Amino acid sequence: MAKVKVAWFDFCCCEGCQIEMTNFGEPFLKLLELVEPVEFREAMSEKTTERINVSFIEGSFSREEDRVRLEEIRERSDVVVAYGACAVTGGINALKNHFEMDDYKEAVYGADKDMPHLDTQDAKPVSAAIKVDYAIPGCPIDKDEFLRVVTQLVHGTSKVYVPTYPVCLECKLRETVCRYDDGDHCMGQVALAGCGAPCPADGIPCEACRGFVENPNEKALEQVLQERGGLSAAWAKKKSQMFTANLRGDA
Amino acid sequence: MKTFFLSDGDLDEFVTNLIAKSPVFAPVAKKTRFVFNQLESVEDLRLDYDTTILPPKKLFVPTKQDLVTFEHGKYEECLAPGKKILFGVHPYDIKAISMMDWIHEESNFDIYYHSNRKATTIIGSNVQNHYKKAFFGSVCKELKVMGHDMFLTKIADGYLVEVLTKKGDDLLPDGNFTDVSKEQIKNAADVNTKADENCPSKLKNTSLEIKHKIRMYYDSDVWKKKSENCFSCGSCNIVCPTCYCFDIQDEWALEPTSGKRYRRWDACLTCEFSEVSVQGGSENFREERAERFRHRIMRKTSFLNDKLGGPACVGCGRCSGTCTADIADPVSIINEIMEK
Ligand code: SF4
Ligand code: SF4
Ligand code: SF4
Ligand code: SF4
Ligand code: SF4
Repeated sequence: MAKVKVAWFDFCCCEGCQIEMTNFGEPFLKLLELVEPVEFREAMSEKTTERINVSFIEGSFSREEDRVRLEEIRERSDVVVAYGACAVTGGINALKNHFEMDDYKEAVYGADKDMPHLDTQDAKPVSAAIKVDYAIPGCPIDKDEFLRVVTQLVHGTSKVYVPTYPVCLECKLRETVCRYDDGDHCMGQVALAGCGAPCPADGIPCEACRGFVENPNEKALEQVLQERGGLSAAWAKKKSQMFTANLRGDA
Repeated sequence: MKTFFLSDGDLDEFVTNLIAKSPVFAPVAKKTRFVFNQLESVEDLRLDYDTTILPPKKLFVPTKQDLVTFEHGKYEECLAPGKKILFGVHPYDIKAISMMDWIHEESNFDIYYHSNRKATTIIGSNVQNHYKKAFFGSVCKELKVMGHDMFLTKIADGYLVEVLTKKGDDLLPDGNFTDVSKEQIKNAADVNTKADENCPSKLKNTSLEIKHKIRMYYDSDVWKKKSENCFSCGSCNIVCPTCYCFDIQDEWALEPTSGKRYRRWDACLTCEFSEVSVQGGSENFREERAERFRHRIMRKTSFLNDKLGGPACVGCGRCSGTCTADIADPVSIINEIMEK
């Protein structure tokens, strides 16, 4: 069987998901036996212009000039996979979208804010620039989910199943005591599942790092965070902003 | 049926002997809640539990269960039922298990369910403490508590033990079971009646009245109103002892020569549950959350009654307690409609 040619590309991100991948250990090495990496900045230096079967894109689309690079990748690739919160939803970078552009430019670059090489814009998901075939969200990605999806892809599955329901369902399946039953708050009701709900199982609230489900009930969340989670009205309103700037009804 | 007495002091020895014999699954504490887990020692046993997060059904249909594995064109069914004992099941959960027994053979004999079920001895126990949302005393009265092998009721100084089957009989050598008095039998009956009466929440009508009226309200706007805060998270399905829907997926292993087919508990309150492929695209036959919300209540009050002989809800209160939006309680929905 011919090896599947894969490439990794990064945009506006911390490259943490790439690092997370190199942390995979044995399963990742096994996966590498099935694929031929042709571009991977974190672990190799050669760059190519040849056809790519599967491209993995990390990081958000936050400068207009990146559009061309993204379009080139799309052009060269059979399948495009966005992975990590930044690429899938804009991620933590999109926090700045809650502010005025001039304000965040000044806060970050100060007097240099109008220099052309520091040009920036609201952080958007990769899908705002090009068509994305698969999304593997998470900050960082869940390595089991990544391996599961990629394994199906390299074996030629035409449509890989990924859940669309909230984290609560996975949380219940593993019989975790709900944060709300432990005197805490949580946002698993609106967060997209697929991670297996590790955070509540470790006794911490879900921060919705994978972004919202398709129809998040934001109004109900705000109410539950206040009434059952004990958050102030102002905090309950803001609480879910961290990973969801591009997914919100109130944006 | 045979009836015995087992003293408080002798319970430990009985359970310890059972643990030595085969895996024993029983209620144990998990932070502020309880779960059915394999007992390592009798000290972890909590017969005073209110209810568990997931119902004991998980022992017959694990939340995620491999059905078939394949390798190099050969496949193997994943049937490996080990003998086990399910200890401390409350009466409402026993009722739910007998519904599950029937549902898993009604149209298709589910060999995965029934091989696990057959390998399990069920020992019930009375409700010593009520879950805050329980209403088992006023629902599904038509169905008897049956299908279990032994039942323990806490009375003064020990337990009244009812032995109902051959499987139950086989456990008698493991404990110091002694004779009971008429008074102890009566006391145990009172304990179980009181447990029913003392439920913190109650339905006010019979199953038949409820079934008819809820059906009449199929097109009412009550569903939209009630489900306004619904997250479509499916938690109310997942924790329910009478829910049985599952999703099946095929998955490749890393090696391109092997893989598996598995099933996972599914939930009709989620949006994707009702999505089906239609001519290359997809269609959702319960797109609105009000429709999905209504569907569960219809299933629990009306749709299955004729088949089951009673409503598919045993009043455990788990759905109600698990719903972070606090809208899933069948009692508040049913009573509200019944009062209209
Ligand atoms: S802990 Fe969070 S994710 Fe888990 S059930 Fe509760 S709200 Fe949902
Ligand atoms: S539980 Fe929530 S915060 Fe944790 S990984 Fe999953 S989506 Fe992210
Ligand atoms: S009723 Fe409650 S538990 Fe059920 S899906 Fe809606 S929010 Fe989740
Ligand atoms: S519908 Fe709710 S109360 Fe009734 S059996 Fe299911 S979880 Fe228990
Ligand atoms: S209520 Fe929904 S999930 Fe539960 S058994 Fe019925 S259809 Fe299935």
